[in-house]
Amino acid sequence: MTDHKTIKELCAQFTRIIAEPNLEIQRVHAEKPAPIIGFLPTDVPEELIHASGAYPYGLVSYEGMWVNRADAHLQTWACSLARCSFGMALAGKFDYLSGLIIPHICDTTRMISGIWKQTRPYDFMENFVLPRQVDRPSARSYLIGELGRLKARLESFMGRSIADEELQRSISLYNKNRTMLRKLYQFHVRRPDLISNLDVFNAIKSAMLIPKELHNVMVSELLRVVEQQTHERNTDDAARGVRVLVTGKVWEPPAIMEILDESGGVCVADDLSTGYRYIANDVTENGDPLEALADHQLKRPPSPCFVNRGQDRLEYLVDKVKASGARGVIFLHLKFCETENYDYPLLRDALFAANIPNVRVESEIGNVSHGQISTRIQAFMEMLGGEEIYGS
Amino acid sequence: MAASQPFKTAGLLKGLMAKYYEQGNLARERGVPVAWVTAVSPVELVYAAGLFPYYPENFGALAAARKVADKISMAAETRGFFSDLCGYARCGLGDAYAQEHPVGKIVRPDLLFCCNTQCGSLQKWFETAGRLYKAPYFLLDAPLIENASTELVKRYFVEQLEEAINFFEVATGSPFNFDRLAEVLDLANEACRLWNEILDMAAMKPAPFGFFDACFHMAPIVTWRGTKEAVMYYQELKNELEDRLSKKIYAVPDERFKIYWDHIPVWPKLRWFSDLFAEHGALVAVSQYTHSWAYQFDLDRPLESLAENYSEVFSNRDFEDRIQLKINFMKKYQIDGFALFSNRSCKPTAFGLYDKRKIISDRTGLPGIVFEGDMSDLRYFSDEQVRNRFKIFFEQLT
Repeated sequence: MTDHKTIKELCAQFTRIIAEPNLEIQRVHAEKPAPIIGFLPTDVPEELIHASGAYPYGLVSYEGMWVNRADAHLQTWACSLARCSFGMALAGKFDYLSGLIIPHICDTTRMISGIWKQTRPYDFMENFVLPRQVDRPSARSYLIGELGRLKARLESFMGRSIADEELQRSISLYNKNRTMLRKLYQFHVRRPDLISNLDVFNAIKSAMLIPKELHNVMVSELLRVVEQQTHERNTDDAARGVRVLVTGKVWEPPAIMEILDESGGVCVADDLSTGYRYIANDVTENGDPLEALADHQLKRPPSPCFVNRGQDRLEYLVDKVKASGARGVIFLHLKFCETENYDYPLLRDALFAANIPNVRVESEIGNVSHGQISTRIQAFMEMLGGEEIYGS
Repeated sequence: MAASQPFKTAGLLKGLMAKYYEQGNLARERGVPVAWVTAVSPVELVYAAGLFPYYPENFGALAAARKVADKISMAAETRGFFSDLCGYARCGLGDAYAQEHPVGKIVRPDLLFCCNTQCGSLQKWFETAGRLYKAPYFLLDAPLIENASTELVKRYFVEQLEEAINFFEVATGSPFNFDRLAEVLDLANEACRLWNEILDMAAMKPAPFGFFDACFHMAPIVTWRGTKEAVMYYQELKNELEDRLSKKIYAVPDERFKIYWDHIPVWPKLRWFSDLFAEHGALVAVSQYTHSWAYQFDLDRPLESLAENYSEVFSNRDFEDRIQLKINFMKKYQIDGFALFSNRSCKPTAFGLYDKRKIISDRTGLPGIVFEGDMSDLRYFSDEQVRNRFKIFFEQLT
């Protein structure tokens, strides 16, 4: 029991960081002052920000009450992710930022940067202008150049140059974080009774909110305790629950993971930007670091924002379901998210054609009926495998 | 009221577009692969490669103008495409599923060629269509240009044009012909030159031609750009406009005000808006939209020149550049006020307009409004609301 409590205690640290993300980053900043540079999720080379000496900070913890704050500047038919982030900025919630990097992944991110710069600028406002096709040689050469441009902008803002060795060190630090989080994810898949859906997703999200040096300590401590506990029991306590794959952009509102936990669902794979997509692949540690960062970005799991004819999302998802042993798929969509909307009907049809049950859940930050989402997810879980939840 | 007398060239336009659609229908029978292309993409390469370029956006605009866009969209919406997606895309995807085809059947692609300089909606629509029709898809990717273009973006664009040429060679099975490209570029230059001379006539006061006329006459500059047909058409149109000038036939007979419009028209309401403005003696003289086709290519450096022209269009520019481009048009056409269309189908042109309205008014002193609607779907348009907003606008024009 002591161990179990300790796991929960360790996981509670992540919950606390997400609940009040500004506290921890400001504490760190007070101890060792350096500019805090925010980024919108999550196709951003954080390693570059880190190597420049600034604190990278993801705008990934949302306070729904500020969504409408953006209405005078942004149409209400923009997605709530953009409206909420920008609304929070207008409300002064990110005033401790010295800079913001916006990755261009859709029309909304492409357009919001100009509005943001106009209405609530920080000292360092940059776009990360990603190639939107990822499988032709031109994408790679362009992306290396764009990473070089961003690096130069960071160097100029920070008043120092970034040596290759420094960038390599940041890459190693980030690789370590991703490796450990993947390990934690696998523990969760095997033992959801010890590491719940919410626990693992909180662990991933909190990695974007505090320095990786600190996060690595927390995750490594957690892994140690989890390993010890599974080792001591020494039983392959086969996971109860219904294995599902979750696909979408972000897991918002966070209550979704609690609902999944309560309904006996176990997320065994996902392609969420604030989920597995954030930790899926590492950056090569030898060779030119900018080339390595470019390859890392291009080889991330398929997303609806990037055209990838080499690995189409249709086949990718069907394969992923089979490989992970998921029994069904939950589409987790934010209202007004165009890129997901376009993909959905054919993805759904491809899954049904492969006899994979699936359900679509739509949410909106700041305006969501937890009851409705709960009912849909519970009904889906019961359909997939009621006896495993309630039986034995 | 847009034109007190119908244009003689209207008949020519009808014939030209009928010929275009007929070619589309016959292309496959003749062994010419059909390439879906986007309105602001280097169609010159497609013509030079010997492919037939088909514009699904045109299909969307046609369905919108005939007021059946919502009906065709429903076929897509019942399949799970959402009503908040681009109206053109819903029409294009809807027609593939629909049993009835009130504006003819959309031509299925053998390959798809999309440039995302206009928007990411086209990128997703074409990708989806590629999956649906199981046809190869090429995205010509345009990174947003901030302030001035860079060597990096130009190089990326040129490299992609080379990749596109390979993509076309696979489809046609024959090597790309650069001599043919030079001919096509030459014809495109000529058509663009004529088209922009015509658009400039809207700066005269009173003017023989305005934005709503341009919307009617723009189809050939989009679809036939790079061919003799487009050059012939705009030469005829220009002659007719000169003839009209000599006979004192004007777009708005008692023109008092000139208006800047941003960006695309509300297709099913073209006449409605045209009448609304004419009632107040106002001519909508200019919009960035119809000026999108203002290319001038350098035949000595074709790919570099294509890259510059297509990556540097307004729809690929950042917030401040777009404001400045609008203000430049306002000055050039001696504008008295401006109307900005918050088009639900078009996030890249709509997002930012609330702030731009204020900034432009502050910098120019001109009255301006933003109104809400959709370019094709009347479910998102309220006659009463829009009329009321414009009532206030017209009161400020003095």
